[in-house]
Amino acid sequence: MKILVVDDSRVMRQIVIRTLRQAGWDDVDVVEAVDGADALVKIAQESPDLVLSDWNMPEMTGIDCLRELRAHGSAVPFGFVTSEGSPEMRETAAEAGALFLIAKPFTADTFRDQLGAVLA
Amino acid sequence: MSTPIATLLDDETVSAVAAEVWSALVGADEVLVPGRGPVAEGRSAWVGVEGPWSGLVVLTCSTTATDDLTRAVLQLAPTEELEADDVDDVLRELANILGGNVKSLLPGPSTLGLPQTGTPPHPGSDVRPVGATWRGHPLTITVQGATEAPAQHPTTEVTS
Repeated sequence: MKILVVDDSRVMRQIVIRTLRQAGWDDVDVVEAVDGADALVKIAQESPDLVLSDWNMPEMTGIDCLRELRAHGSAVPFGFVTSEGSPEMRETAAEAGALFLIAKPFTADTFRDQLGAVLA
Repeated sequence: MSTPIATLLDDETVSAVAAEVWSALVGADEVLVPGRGPVAEGRSAWVGVEGPWSGLVVLTCSTTATDDLTRAVLQLAPTEELEADDVDDVLRELANILGGNVKSLLPGPSTLGLPQTGTPPHPGSDVRPVGATWRGHPLTITVQGATEAPAQHPTTEVTS
Protein backbone atom coordinates (compact mmCIF):
# COMPACT_ATOMS: atom_id res chain seq x y z
CA MET A 1 0.00 0.00 0.00
CA LYS A 2 1.41 3.34 -1.05
CA ILE A 3 0.03 6.86 -0.41
CA LEU A 4 1.18 10.06 -2.10
CA VAL A 5 0.89 13.14 0.14
CA VAL A 6 0.86 16.40 -1.82
CA ASP A 7 1.28 19.75 -0.05
CA ASP A 8 3.57 22.73 -0.53
CA SER A 9 4.01 22.90 3.24
CA ARG A 10 6.56 20.42 4.61
CA VAL A 11 5.01 20.86 8.03
CA MET A 12 1.56 19.95 6.74
CA ARG A 13 2.93 16.89 4.92
CA GLN A 14 4.43 15.77 8.23
CA ILE A 15 1.12 16.33 10.02
CA VAL A 16 -0.82 14.40 7.38
CA ILE A 17 1.64 11.50 7.57
CA ARG A 18 1.54 11.56 11.38
CA THR A 19 -2.25 11.51 11.30
CA LEU A 20 -2.22 8.56 8.91
CA ARG A 21 -0.07 6.66 11.42
CA GLN A 22 -2.33 7.69 14.30
CA ALA A 23 -5.36 6.53 12.33
CA GLY A 24 -3.85 3.06 12.10
CA TRP A 25 -2.11 3.06 8.73
CA ASP A 26 1.35 2.82 10.21
CA ASP A 27 2.68 0.33 7.69
CA VAL A 28 1.86 2.16 4.45
CA ASP A 29 4.60 3.52 2.23
CA VAL A 30 4.38 7.28 1.92
CA VAL A 31 5.68 9.35 -0.97
CA GLU A 32 5.64 13.15 -0.90
CA ALA A 33 5.12 15.81 -3.57
CA VAL A 34 5.36 19.59 -3.19
CA ASP A 35 2.66 20.68 -5.65
CA GLY A 36 0.35 19.41 -8.36
CA ALA A 37 3.03 19.31 -11.04
CA ASP A 38 5.34 17.30 -8.80
CA ALA A 39 2.42 15.02 -7.97
CA LEU A 40 1.89 14.17 -11.64
CA VAL A 41 5.53 13.07 -11.86
CA LYS A 42 5.36 11.05 -8.63
CA ILE A 43 2.11 9.36 -9.63
CA ALA A 44 3.69 8.23 -12.91
CA GLN A 45 6.80 7.01 -11.10
CA GLU A 46 5.30 5.47 -7.98
CA SER A 47 1.76 4.32 -8.92
CA PRO A 48 0.29 5.13 -5.48
CA ASP A 49 -2.90 3.48 -4.22
CA LEU A 50 -4.22 6.84 -2.97
CA VAL A 51 -3.37 10.52 -3.42
CA LEU A 52 -4.01 12.94 -0.52
CA SER A 53 -3.64 16.45 -1.87
CA ASP A 54 -3.85 20.03 -0.71
CA TRP A 55 -5.95 22.34 -2.91
CA ASN A 56 -4.11 25.69 -2.99
CA MET A 57 -0.50 25.26 -4.10
CA PRO A 58 1.92 27.20 -6.26
CA GLU A 59 2.79 25.90 -9.76
CA MET A 60 -0.24 23.62 -10.02
CA THR A 61 -3.23 23.41 -7.70
CA GLY A 62 -4.66 20.15 -6.46
CA ILE A 63 -7.84 20.49 -8.52
CA ASP A 64 -5.85 21.15 -11.71
CA CYS A 65 -3.73 18.11 -10.93
CA LEU A 66 -6.82 15.94 -10.53
CA ARG A 67 -8.36 17.23 -13.76
CA GLU A 68 -5.10 16.56 -15.61
CA LEU A 69 -5.03 13.01 -14.27
CA ARG A 70 -8.60 12.26 -15.28
CA ALA A 71 -8.14 13.90 -18.70
CA HIS A 72 -5.33 11.44 -19.36
CA GLY A 73 -7.28 8.43 -18.20
CA SER A 74 -5.81 7.98 -14.73
CA ALA A 75 -8.28 6.59 -12.20
CA VAL A 76 -5.94 6.80 -9.19
CA PRO A 77 -8.05 7.30 -6.02
CA PHE A 78 -7.73 10.97 -5.09
CA GLY A 79 -8.86 12.92 -2.03
CA PHE A 80 -8.31 16.47 -0.83
CA VAL A 81 -6.94 17.58 2.54
CA THR A 82 -7.34 21.31 2.46
CA SER A 83 -7.79 24.37 4.64
CA GLU A 84 -11.35 25.07 3.51
CA GLY A 85 -14.34 22.94 2.71
CA SER A 86 -17.10 25.12 1.29
CA PRO A 87 -20.04 23.41 -0.43
CA GLU A 88 -18.83 24.88 -3.74
CA MET A 89 -15.39 23.33 -3.30
CA ARG A 90 -16.84 19.96 -2.32
CA GLU A 91 -19.03 20.02 -5.41
CA THR A 92 -16.12 21.02 -7.64
CA ALA A 93 -13.95 18.28 -6.14
CA ALA A 94 -16.63 15.62 -6.62
CA GLU A 95 -17.30 16.69 -10.21
CA ALA A 96 -13.58 16.39 -10.98
CA GLY A 97 -13.52 12.87 -9.56
CA ALA A 98 -12.32 13.27 -5.98
CA LEU A 99 -13.47 10.65 -3.49
CA PHE A 100 -13.59 13.01 -0.51
CA LEU A 101 -12.54 16.39 0.84
CA ILE A 102 -11.15 16.63 4.36
CA ALA A 103 -11.10 20.18 5.71
CA LYS A 104 -8.32 21.23 8.07
CA PRO A 105 -8.17 21.03 11.01
CA PHE A 106 -8.70 17.28 11.05
CA THR A 107 -8.21 14.41 13.46
CA ALA A 108 -7.25 10.76 13.16
CA ASP A 109 -10.97 9.94 13.43
CA THR A 110 -11.65 12.09 10.35
CA PHE A 111 -9.02 10.14 8.43
CA ARG A 112 -10.45 6.80 9.55
CA ASP A 113 -13.95 7.86 8.47
CA GLN A 114 -12.92 9.13 5.04
CA LEU A 115 -10.07 6.79 4.12
CA GLY A 116 -11.39 3.58 5.62
CA ALA A 117 -13.40 2.48 2.61
CA VAL A 118 -10.70 3.49 0.16
CA LEU A 119 -7.88 1.67 1.93
CA ALA A 120 -9.88 -1.38 3.04
CA MET B 1 -17.52 48.85 -0.16
CA SER B 2 -18.19 45.44 1.35
CA THR B 3 -19.93 44.86 4.65
CA PRO B 4 -17.63 45.76 7.59
CA ILE B 5 -16.04 42.75 9.22
CA ALA B 6 -17.35 43.90 12.61
CA THR B 7 -20.88 43.14 11.45
CA LEU B 8 -19.92 39.76 9.92
CA LEU B 9 -17.87 38.25 12.75
CA ASP B 10 -17.70 38.67 16.50
CA ASP B 11 -14.73 38.03 18.78
CA GLU B 12 -16.26 34.87 20.23
CA THR B 13 -16.58 33.27 16.80
CA VAL B 14 -12.99 34.04 15.86
CA SER B 15 -11.82 32.73 19.25
CA ALA B 16 -13.83 29.53 18.78
CA VAL B 17 -12.33 28.94 15.33
CA ALA B 18 -8.83 29.53 16.69
CA ALA B 19 -9.39 27.20 19.64
CA GLU B 20 -10.45 24.40 17.30
CA VAL B 21 -7.42 24.93 15.06
CA TRP B 22 -5.12 24.98 18.08
CA SER B 23 -6.55 21.80 19.49
CA ALA B 24 -6.18 19.90 16.22
CA LEU B 25 -2.81 21.22 15.10
CA VAL B 26 -0.90 22.28 18.18
CA GLY B 27 -2.19 19.59 20.49
CA ALA B 28 -5.41 18.17 21.89
CA ASP B 29 -4.52 19.45 25.36
CA GLU B 30 -3.39 22.88 24.23
CA VAL B 31 -5.65 25.64 25.45
CA LEU B 32 -5.98 28.95 23.68
CA VAL B 33 -7.35 31.42 26.19
CA PRO B 34 -9.33 34.33 24.71
CA GLY B 35 -8.17 37.81 25.63
CA ARG B 36 -4.88 39.69 26.06
CA GLY B 37 -2.88 40.99 23.13
CA PRO B 38 -2.19 42.83 20.98
CA VAL B 39 1.33 41.66 20.21
CA ALA B 40 3.50 44.74 19.82
CA GLU B 41 6.48 43.00 18.21
CA GLY B 42 6.39 39.60 16.66
CA ARG B 43 6.21 37.41 13.61
CA SER B 44 3.15 37.43 11.36
CA ALA B 45 1.65 35.15 8.77
CA TRP B 46 -1.47 35.86 6.79
CA VAL B 47 -3.71 34.69 4.03
CA GLY B 48 -5.97 36.69 1.74
CA VAL B 49 -9.68 36.20 1.13
CA GLU B 50 -11.22 37.47 -2.13
CA GLY B 51 -14.98 37.63 -2.51
CA PRO B 52 -17.98 39.70 -1.40
CA TRP B 53 -15.77 40.49 1.61
CA SER B 54 -12.09 40.84 0.73
CA GLY B 55 -9.24 41.14 3.16
CA LEU B 56 -6.69 39.29 5.22
CA VAL B 57 -6.60 36.94 8.18
CA VAL B 58 -3.37 37.65 10.04
CA LEU B 59 -1.79 35.66 12.88
CA THR B 60 0.84 37.50 14.91
CA CYS B 61 2.91 35.86 17.65
CA SER B 62 5.93 36.83 19.68
CA THR B 63 9.22 35.21 18.68
CA THR B 64 9.21 32.95 21.72
CA ALA B 65 5.67 31.90 20.92
CA THR B 66 6.57 30.96 17.34
CA ASP B 67 9.46 28.80 18.57
CA ASP B 68 7.24 27.04 21.09
CA LEU B 69 4.52 26.63 18.48
CA THR B 70 6.93 25.01 16.07
CA ARG B 71 8.12 22.55 18.71
CA ALA B 72 4.53 21.72 19.65
CA VAL B 73 3.25 21.26 16.10
CA LEU B 74 6.26 19.20 15.00
CA GLN B 75 6.41 17.39 18.36
CA LEU B 76 10.07 18.27 18.82
CA ALA B 77 11.98 17.92 22.08
CA PRO B 78 12.98 21.18 23.83
CA THR B 79 16.62 20.48 23.00
CA GLU B 80 16.12 19.93 19.28
CA GLU B 81 17.31 22.64 16.91
CA LEU B 82 14.66 24.60 15.07
CA GLU B 83 14.97 25.41 11.40
CA ALA B 84 13.85 28.90 10.39
CA ASP B 85 11.94 27.45 7.43
CA ASP B 86 9.94 25.23 9.76
CA VAL B 87 9.08 28.15 12.06
CA ASP B 88 7.69 30.14 9.14
CA ASP B 89 6.00 27.06 7.68
CA VAL B 90 4.15 26.39 10.94
CA LEU B 91 3.05 30.01 11.21
CA ARG B 92 1.87 30.03 7.58
CA GLU B 93 -0.10 26.82 8.01
CA LEU B 94 -1.80 28.09 11.15
CA ALA B 95 -2.73 31.32 9.34
CA ASN B 96 -3.86 29.30 6.31
CA ILE B 97 -6.20 27.10 8.31
CA LEU B 98 -7.47 30.01 10.38
CA GLY B 99 -8.12 31.87 7.13
CA GLY B 100 -9.91 28.92 5.55
CA ASN B 101 -12.18 28.53 8.54
CA VAL B 102 -12.87 32.27 8.84
CA LYS B 103 -13.61 32.37 5.09
CA SER B 104 -16.24 29.68 5.54
CA LEU B 105 -18.10 32.06 7.90
CA LEU B 106 -18.09 34.98 5.47
CA PRO B 107 -20.38 35.63 2.49
CA GLY B 108 -19.37 33.65 -0.57
CA PRO B 109 -18.37 32.58 -3.03
CA SER B 110 -14.82 33.58 -2.24
CA THR B 111 -11.31 32.29 -2.73
CA LEU B 112 -8.35 31.89 -0.41
CA GLY B 113 -4.84 32.96 -1.38
CA LEU B 114 -1.53 31.39 -0.49
CA PRO B 115 -0.20 32.08 3.02
CA GLN B 116 2.71 34.45 3.49
CA THR B 117 5.00 35.55 6.30
CA GLY B 118 6.69 38.86 6.94
CA THR B 119 5.23 42.29 7.58
CA PRO B 120 1.52 42.30 6.78
CA PRO B 121 -0.17 45.21 5.04
CA HIS B 122 -1.29 47.84 7.52
CA PRO B 123 -4.97 47.49 8.34
CA GLY B 124 -7.44 50.20 7.46
CA SER B 125 -10.52 51.04 9.48
CA ASP B 126 -12.27 47.72 8.73
CA VAL B 127 -10.42 45.56 11.24
CA ARG B 128 -11.23 43.09 14.00
CA PRO B 129 -8.22 42.15 16.17
CA VAL B 130 -8.83 39.25 18.54
CA GLY B 131 -6.31 38.64 21.29
CA ALA B 132 -5.53 35.30 22.87
CA THR B 133 -2.97 33.68 25.12
CA TRP B 134 -1.25 30.34 24.64
CA ARG B 135 1.13 28.98 27.28
CA GLY B 136 1.41 32.55 28.56
CA HIS B 137 2.36 33.95 25.15
CA PRO B 138 0.12 36.70 23.76
CA LEU B 139 -0.95 36.37 20.16
CA THR B 140 -3.35 38.19 17.89
CA ILE B 141 -5.64 37.04 15.13
CA THR B 142 -6.59 40.03 13.01
CA VAL B 143 -9.31 39.94 10.39
CA GLN B 144 -8.83 43.08 8.32
CA GLY B 145 -10.64 44.35 5.26
CA ALA B 146 -8.73 45.17 2.10
CA THR B 147 -7.62 48.78 1.97
CA GLU B 148 -8.54 50.98 -0.99
CA ALA B 149 -4.95 51.03 -2.21
CA PRO B 150 -3.45 47.60 -1.44
CA ALA B 151 -0.05 47.86 0.19
CA GLN B 152 2.96 46.38 -1.54
CA HIS B 153 4.55 43.37 0.10
CA PRO B 154 8.29 43.98 -0.17
CA THR B 155 9.19 41.70 2.71
CA THR B 156 6.81 38.84 2.08
CA GLU B 157 7.80 35.30 1.33
CA VAL B 158 5.28 33.28 -0.57
CA THR B 159 5.01 29.73 0.64
CA SER B 160 7.01 27.27 -1.41
